Amino acid sequence: MRNLKWSVMLIGLLILSLVLAACTSTGGETTTSPEATTAVEGVAPVEEPGGEEPAEDMAEGERKIATFIWTQEFDSLSPFYTNMWFSQVTRQLWNVWAWDYDENLNIIPVLVTEMPTEENGGISADGRTLTFKLRDDIVWSDGTPITSEDFVFTFEMALDPANTVNSTYPYDQYESIDAPDPQTVVLTSAEPFAPWEATLWHSLLPAHVLRPVFEADGTLDNAEWNLAPTVGAGPYRFEEWESGSYARFVKNENWWGPEPNIDEIFFRFVPDDASQVAALQNGEGDLGTFISWSDFPTLESAGLDMRTVSSGFREGWFFFLGDEQIPGHPALQDVRVRQAIAQAFDREALIQDVLLGLTKPVETLWDDTPFVSPDIVPWQYNPEAANALLDEAGWVDSNGDGVRDKDGVELVLVHGSTTREIRQDTQAVAQQQLAEIGIGLELQSLDSTVFFASYGENGPTYTGEIDIQQWSDVTSFPDPDISYWLCSEIPTDEYPDGTNNFRICDEELDELFRLQATQTIPEERIATFHQISKLMHDQVYWFGVWDDPDGWAIGPRLQNVRLSGVTPFFAITEWDISE
Amino acid sequence: MSRYIIRRLLQAIPLLLIVSIILFALTMNLGDPLATMGGRRATRPADRERLTRQLGLDQPMYKQYLYWLIGNDWERIDLDGDGEAETQGTRQGVLRGDFGNSMMKRGQTAWEVIWERVPNTLLLMIPAEIIIITFALLIGIYSALRQYSAADHVITALSFIGYSTPIFFFALISIYLFSVNFKRWGLPSLPAVGMFDPQVGKTTGQVALHMILPVLTISFVSIAAYSRYIRSTMLEVMNQDYIRTARAKGLHGRYVIFVHALRNASLPIVTLIGLDLALLLGGALVTERIFAWPGMGRLFLDHMQRMDVPVIMGILMLLSLSVIVFQIITDLTYAVLDPRIRYE
Repeated sequence: MRNLKWSVMLIGLLILSLVLAACTSTGGETTTSPEATTAVEGVAPVEEPGGEEPAEDMAEGERKIATFIWTQEFDSLSPFYTNMWFSQVTRQLWNVWAWDYDENLNIIPVLVTEMPTEENGGISADGRTLTFKLRDDIVWSDGTPITSEDFVFTFEMALDPANTVNSTYPYDQYESIDAPDPQTVVLTSAEPFAPWEATLWHSLLPAHVLRPVFEADGTLDNAEWNLAPTVGAGPYRFEEWESGSYARFVKNENWWGPEPNIDEIFFRFVPDDASQVAALQNGEGDLGTFISWSDFPTLESAGLDMRTVSSGFREGWFFFLGDEQIPGHPALQDVRVRQAIAQAFDREALIQDVLLGLTKPVETLWDDTPFVSPDIVPWQYNPEAANALLDEAGWVDSNGDGVRDKDGVELVLVHGSTTREIRQDTQAVAQQQLAEIGIGLELQSLDSTVFFASYGENGPTYTGEIDIQQWSDVTSFPDPDISYWLCSEIPTDEYPDGTNNFRICDEELDELFRLQATQTIPEERIATFHQISKLMHDQVYWFGVWDDPDGWAIGPRLQNVRLSGVTPFFAITEWDISE
Repeated sequence: MSRYIIRRLLQAIPLLLIVSIILFALTMNLGDPLATMGGRRATRPADRERLTRQLGLDQPMYKQYLYWLIGNDWERIDLDGDGEAETQGTRQGVLRGDFGNSMMKRGQTAWEVIWERVPNTLLLMIPAEIIIITFALLIGIYSALRQYSAADHVITALSFIGYSTPIFFFALISIYLFSVNFKRWGLPSLPAVGMFDPQVGKTTGQVALHMILPVLTISFVSIAAYSRYIRSTMLEVMNQDYIRTARAKGLHGRYVIFVHALRNASLPIVTLIGLDLALLLGGALVTERIFAWPGMGRLFLDHMQRMDVPVIMGILMLLSLSVIVFQIITDLTYAVLDPRIRYE
């Protein structure tokens, strides 16, 4: 009898836990938007929520619901407290950028009437002042008008030391911000800041919601809005976020742009890659991201539309040249050796055999943009030419061990990368192909936390332990700016955070990089980058292996999908669901 | 008995303190929480320098531990980097119930972050544990009573297969079989990921349906291990003189098995279950990740990757406390099961 009692109690407990889980909106707590459609107290909305039928009144079956699979859950939805791509991209649904980029990287003004130029007076003659003209019909999701005050507040909050924001960039490049009228924002910098177009106004904080919070708490660090942004400015508005499970966004009734076709968008957090593939095959998600190359055929055969979209990332080899403080391998000091390496590695074959032909080799960090010099001649696989260059440089196999040497130093280099499978495969191919021209490669495959450890932590990419580093990186895409080739970025004990871990200090390159950062006239900057890209390519300071676009999987229910590498959801209002 | 419980709880205090020092030292050496902060690129040097100061990461480890333990509201800190400590600290420390703010999920305390996941983990782990104990007992006892029979050999073989199968492999196989292939073959299929289908909503049926595969996965491997253990302890007890005596007295077979044998065999089993129950709160790292179940195991992994010390420490201390409490409960259970044990 006592056993029976226990059984009944246990079964009861199980049923109770199931019922509780289902009846509460969460297993634990859900961050929800309590007043998502109502105006903030004391602030009169300019208009009542849109005249369309409220979404809640529609029958569940009629609602168009899309499910996007995110392999990483956002840490925060606040633009200032996250570095995560998964959060930044999601923000385009509910807190639009001031301008978007389409699939061809053309700019589409969203919050501004037009992009500032010298011609329209938006950029001052000295390039130090930017003037933005805002649209006069834009409103927050609670109906409050979006004005220059919101831009000023956003700027101030980014720079206020009371807020532990993830990055103060690019606002810290400016000296002041002014709002002469509700539709005008003026930014002034000490020096012209060239990358403004790709870096400014990726988000906006609602001053009428967050200013009282800041005034009361003295910081925005603990604002509820960070995790439940009840007021936004996109075609969708935040509805709820259940930790570890999902986040839900519904149509913003006050959105001033084209009405979205899809009523609700669920972001479902599925951290395992294999599970993501299974869920997409199973129809449990309509959109998947960061699909690995090897999964493309499987998903394609399951009827998914597989796409690669360039977000500016390029996989390449970085050569550690070293300096007096930390010397590099003597062979790599000679440009002919670096050029020989570039011609001894068959990138085309690698891409066909290992990457299933889904991408292509790259020559520079700026490929497929106007910033690449037209005079660049791509490196071709040519072992004979590579051998000749090494002979000319004096690296010959004098002791007959199959590896070239010079002055008693063997031409054996350490090639290091992370444990990503595709990189390990590449290393194996490179070892085999470079051996054919008498270059020995010792391979290191390290966990990314070890591989990317900093100078202060004696990271292997900083200590000279690795001669050739392979990883993927990006400029301030679509802006071409990148800072780690500056001589001043070489890390030292006094400046351990320096990013030039290759210790390459080319004075001509340094000067060109400094110049481009201040050029606000596009034609002039492009001309500078033509010199930069040609110099870097011919000197083989960086050897591009493959273009590293993002892999997207689009389920058969999703229609009209257009994706951009910068603002993937720029055309989200056009997307549709068909059963 | 009460004095015993109080004594054990008092003994737990220095133990937890020592455990917290060791765990804190270990977690502080996991890596740099500011390296990328979840981004695709390294954190900008200027931001890293500022955040190191603002988040107190520039303090020596002993001081960071003290802040974690007793807070920093007793001193001023330098937020703006001008070398002058101008801002009053706000942390109260674990001893006053403040586990600190999550460094990853800014705006939430570590305790809030952890507490959100506890119900989901218990929802997954309690049914799994009930299934594990029930089936392991049935299979273990059955196998012991029919030692060296065909059924015993089959159970033994299956147990070894189950025990030697990596849990991630079983999880992925079950997804591809019951979700992907069953759907392809036109059979009723099970969902692969999550707690419910967004198209349907979070209903009891949906949650139950989504629990099937993860619970099955957790149970499969554990049943295999537990049943072997129960089989061997039962076999040992069944060969004791008092069992033979009980049978000689003419007691019914089932009575002998369930009252005399199982009760005596249950002491080591209770030890095992006691440890398992304590770790229920920790969730299932692999299973939760593969089935995208929003439990504590995934939370731990996610925050471990970001070196979120307040949350990691919160989870580890919660588990440490849970182990201590369940060990006391286990010890008390011994006294209930074995009248020879007394805690006076």
